[in-house]
Amino acid sequence: MIWRILIFLWIATTMVVALLGAPLVPVLQETTRVLYFHIPSAWVTVLALGWSMINSVLYLIRRDMRNDDHAAAAAELGLVFCIVATVTGSIWAKSMWGSWWNWDPRETSIFFVLLIYGAYLALRGSIEGEEKRARLSAVYSIVAFVAVPPLIFVVPRIYSTLHPDPIINGSGKIDMDPMIRWCFFSMLLGFTFLFTWLQSLRVRVSRLERRLAT
Amino acid sequence: MDRNWVVLGVSLMLWGLLFIWILRVERRVRDVEKR
Repeated sequence: MIWRILIFLWIATTMVVALLGAPLVPVLQETTRVLYFHIPSAWVTVLALGWSMINSVLYLIRRDMRNDDHAAAAAELGLVFCIVATVTGSIWAKSMWGSWWNWDPRETSIFFVLLIYGAYLALRGSIEGEEKRARLSAVYSIVAFVAVPPLIFVVPRIYSTLHPDPIINGSGKIDMDPMIRWCFFSMLLGFTFLFTWLQSLRVRVSRLERRLAT
Repeated sequence: MDRNWVVLGVSLMLWGLLFIWILRVERRVRDVEKR
């Protein structure tokens, strides 16, 4: 129980420091606050989808259903965090660009990620038979993740975008106020802890579902 | 009222509700696991 309370306090404390103590980024002004939720959500999306891909590879090698449980849970959570990143990004876009959705390269990329992993869940739901579902889903997850790095990291850098520069700029440096940087990385860590907790919980639910089904 | 306090209040409330919800789900999972 202690580590759960620590996760709660970690994120809550970071919120307090970020929203009351950290300065605003000059370019972003009031919308700076979105930074502490939007980027950690996007980070966890990539982390979760990567974890799903790794477990899909492990499933195809070992044929262990525990890997399939991890792959499915991570894809679901990745989709949830991707939706959070999209919604927070849209709120930011409304404030900065005057429109909720502009089909900016970043927005278009994340839209495709949502479609690809929405299709993954639809695929899982449409296949009868545990082994067949696990095998086909694993192959799909691996192929799907191949598209994630280009969509998230490459496409927005090729096409001109109104989206602010990435955290690590072109010269490989993190150009941030020290307080903002502390809050930002603290929130990244907090969201990562939250993801690991939710992931373990979702895997436990999957195991229970299998146990109850047999 | 300072907007930072409003954003902080809403954020903490949502995070608190989410945290309690996850704890409740976990407790139910634990109950089913024990059966």
